[in-house]
Amino acid sequence: MTSRAKFIANVTTSLGRTEVIKPSRDESTAAFDDAETARTNADRAMAENAANSVTLTDRMAEAASTIGWKVHRVANPEDAADVVASICEQKGATSVLRSTHDVLAEINVDAAVTNTGAKLGVTKHSGDNDEAKVTESKTTAFAADIGITGVDHAVAETGTVVLHPRSGLSRLVSLAPPTHIAVLRPAEILDSLDELFAMERNDHMTGKLAGSMNLISGPSKTADIEGTTVTGIHGPLEVHLIILEND
Amino acid sequence: MKPLTTDFRAKAAETMVDEQVLQSLEHVYTGFFKGRLEAIGNTDNWEELREKGKAIKDHTIAHLDYYLEQLADNVEKNGGSVFFAADAAEARKYVLDLAHARNIKTVIKSKSMVSEEMALGQALIDEGIEAIETDLGEYIIQLSGETPYHLIAPAVHKSRKEVAELLDDNYVEGNPVPDATELTMMAREKLRNVFERADMSVTGVNFAVAESGSITLVTNEGNGRMSTTVPRVHVAVMGMEKIIPSIQDLSTMLRILIRSATGQRISSYVTMVNGPRTSDEEEGPEEFHLVIMDNGRQKLLADEQMRESLNCIRCGACLNACPVYRKVGGHAYGWVYPGPIGAIVTPVLTGLKDAVNLPAASSLCGACHDACPVKINIPRMLLELRYRTAEGSTDKDERTSSAQERTIWKAWRIGMMGRKRFDIGARLSRLFLRPLARNGWLKKAPPPISGWTSTRDFPLVSSSSLKARLNKRSKKAKS
Amino acid sequence: MVDQLAPAVGESTVDILEHLGITVDFLDDQTCCGQPAFNSGFRSEALPVATRFIELFEQVAGPIVVPSGSCAAMVRNYYGDLFRCDENMIMRAEQVGERLYELSEFISRFFGTDAIKGTLADTATYHKCCHLLREIGVDEEPLEILSNVEGLQMTPLERADVCCGFGGAFSVKMPDISSAILDEKLDNIEANGSNMVIAADTGCVYQMQGGLRRRGSSVQVVHIAEVLAKSIRNSSVLGKS
Repeated sequence: MTSRAKFIANVTTSLGRTEVIKPSRDESTAAFDDAETARTNADRAMAENAANSVTLTDRMAEAASTIGWKVHRVANPEDAADVVASICEQKGATSVLRSTHDVLAEINVDAAVTNTGAKLGVTKHSGDNDEAKVTESKTTAFAADIGITGVDHAVAETGTVVLHPRSGLSRLVSLAPPTHIAVLRPAEILDSLDELFAMERNDHMTGKLAGSMNLISGPSKTADIEGTTVTGIHGPLEVHLIILEND
Repeated sequence: MKPLTTDFRAKAAETMVDEQVLQSLEHVYTGFFKGRLEAIGNTDNWEELREKGKAIKDHTIAHLDYYLEQLADNVEKNGGSVFFAADAAEARKYVLDLAHARNIKTVIKSKSMVSEEMALGQALIDEGIEAIETDLGEYIIQLSGETPYHLIAPAVHKSRKEVAELLDDNYVEGNPVPDATELTMMAREKLRNVFERADMSVTGVNFAVAESGSITLVTNEGNGRMSTTVPRVHVAVMGMEKIIPSIQDLSTMLRILIRSATGQRISSYVTMVNGPRTSDEEEGPEEFHLVIMDNGRQKLLADEQMRESLNCIRCGACLNACPVYRKVGGHAYGWVYPGPIGAIVTPVLTGLKDAVNLPAASSLCGACHDACPVKINIPRMLLELRYRTAEGSTDKDERTSSAQERTIWKAWRIGMMGRKRFDIGARLSRLFLRPLARNGWLKKAPPPISGWTSTRDFPLVSSSSLKARLNKRSKKAKS
Repeated sequence: MVDQLAPAVGESTVDILEHLGITVDFLDDQTCCGQPAFNSGFRSEALPVATRFIELFEQVAGPIVVPSGSCAAMVRNYYGDLFRCDENMIMRAEQVGERLYELSEFISRFFGTDAIKGTLADTATYHKCCHLLREIGVDEEPLEILSNVEGLQMTPLERADVCCGFGGAFSVKMPDISSAILDEKLDNIEANGSNMVIAADTGCVYQMQGGLRRRGSSVQVVHIAEVLAKSIRNSSVLGKS
């Protein structure tokens, strides 16, 4: 018997049964919701966003601010670019890394950054699984002063930015540099964790679940020394949320 | 980790005279406990969430075989590997063999209590592989050669000065102690180098999701994210019970876990990993391994009275609420899991005979049950274990009550089975003890209650019982 | 415990109930609910004592009032476990448990927290006994009842809901831990500055009073029944209520 079969057989016996039986529907878990229900839940989440965009944005701004995001609400792409530029200057940034979220093109982030004199890199995927390229990607991220991304989803309940790493959005761009800037469009804001995980579940049921997911809610922190909260242990010390409210 | 549960009384006594540790332990109440209360005070549907969390776990554990299979199938479908380990030794061997096979030089560890069961860190070091804890609290205790003191805050017992002595290469006795921020920044710098060069990571798992083959990590520091990103091999180790059926269940489980653990609405990072890096990513592990460990959990599962303990989501809220934990500290519990949850699982997982003091060390105040986000009835299970050690275990070795104790309770029962003897017993005790008493109080009582008078005065039985007084009243009323 | 160690608590309970217009019966033969042996794991010894308890109280109808949260909890919440092998006993225990109440629970539920308008001039603070709080679910009601005692100045106790460390046999089996927990409670009591600590369970009363005496403190720890009964007597002396 393989160790898996033996292991499972032991569990079955401990449960007082002789074979694994599929559980009948239990309302406590969403596991029994079919694909259609999953899609309905996801659609509802998006519809809520469309209907309540303004209040969601206010709630997101407040929740984010409470947990340590520096929130900047701007009415146009130029102002967003100005915020980015001023952060670069403040930090004396020499090396900046960004993802390929299209909101970043919308605000013309490249010019904003390079005009401050900083070098700008883009997280790309070379497509060839080359060890050297992987190392280079890591080194660039660890050396960068600022990482800039857009947002895949945001959650107003908790002030959370959600990122699904993929080609054009590396895992490290929002983690390794000591400062992270996330540019958010109100259309990306979901009401609560319920809606977020409804979206994720729907992605799963349609075979589109991302390889990984990061929920980011404020700067990195720890309270392991005498219970004192300190910001910036392994992840960014400073996180900025630019909300582009230009519709 | 080798259990040292027989040291409970001695270690507890040590802690109770250590002013510095007792002061540090206050953070557990003033920080975590109060934080949790505030967070749930701001959560309108908290009781509903607890009910739902409990229902999800009850359902999952009741069908654990089904969900484990589903999890394993999906992890493999996603390109990961699954290893089912019967015990800590098997799990450790798998990781060590893997590290050797992949020529691993540096392993970074993200917080994992299961890896403590495996004693993995030291095992890797013994095999010549660098193994470094990356959670700040774990890093601190690794430097001091200790085991975790708390589920969430492993170094909660350490003073800032002690941390400086461990972390700050330039610290010398007599210097002003650097503040928490300075010390944290030192750790950040030291560990950043390690992150850059690590080739394997070992993380725990907060929730494994069966339907998608995902693992979820809840952290504040970012070391969980680093661990699932920088090395080429990522190994996640989990107890077999850390599983939930659906991705959507995460909204409930995260809400109750995080508020209960730290009082936050959400932690800085929640990371969900569905296998090794995808073909469209530059960074991320090439390999993902999930080690699912039993190590005695079958016993809890098969035990109808103790099965509920497998619902535990390792938030630490019971520790933060426990007046005993706050006085005896984490190391007294002698194994990986301290506090009330430790008091019920450690005896079953490592042996009730040696761990007999763990369920005994409780005033049964119920604060743990109150605090538990999934409503685990810990007091009931403490009582169950006490029953087993007193008389109820089918294993003779586990019935460790002394002849003296059995006699006392037999005598007690005899005394309680009739009113006359109940009264006579009371009158006799007053007769014998009155000479030792002053104003109705004893400074020194005889065994078995001599323990009481070491620190408190003990009351003398009253001159007349309630029955006598009420009878007297009704006689008076009739006359 | 009340019967032999603190009969005044029992008498006070009777006084209060009679003041509320109830005819009170006391079953002379009663001894114990069995909790001490059960908590120590000696269920075989607790079983006959608990059975006797049920047999006794089955013979009378109507509500059973007990001035103890922990005894009430034993009967209502733990007899099921104790009698787990006996469906019939479980049912009988449930039937008794259904009409068994802790004192302040009984007062607030059937008469209202303002039913007793007594008088007692003193400063006091209230300790929330664990079983009454968490097993029976009585939290603020005793405070509300006490707030209607004229002249009684109540101030909240810091960490009022943290255990005093009694825990029955735990207090003698592990006296060092029990006392360490008690020390924190006593520090909070002394910092509070009240003359009196009020609590609803005799075990806790003795744990705290015994410790305060050892410290040389003059703070009195008094069962809520005694406080309320005294306040009623004072009122009638003063010609009130």
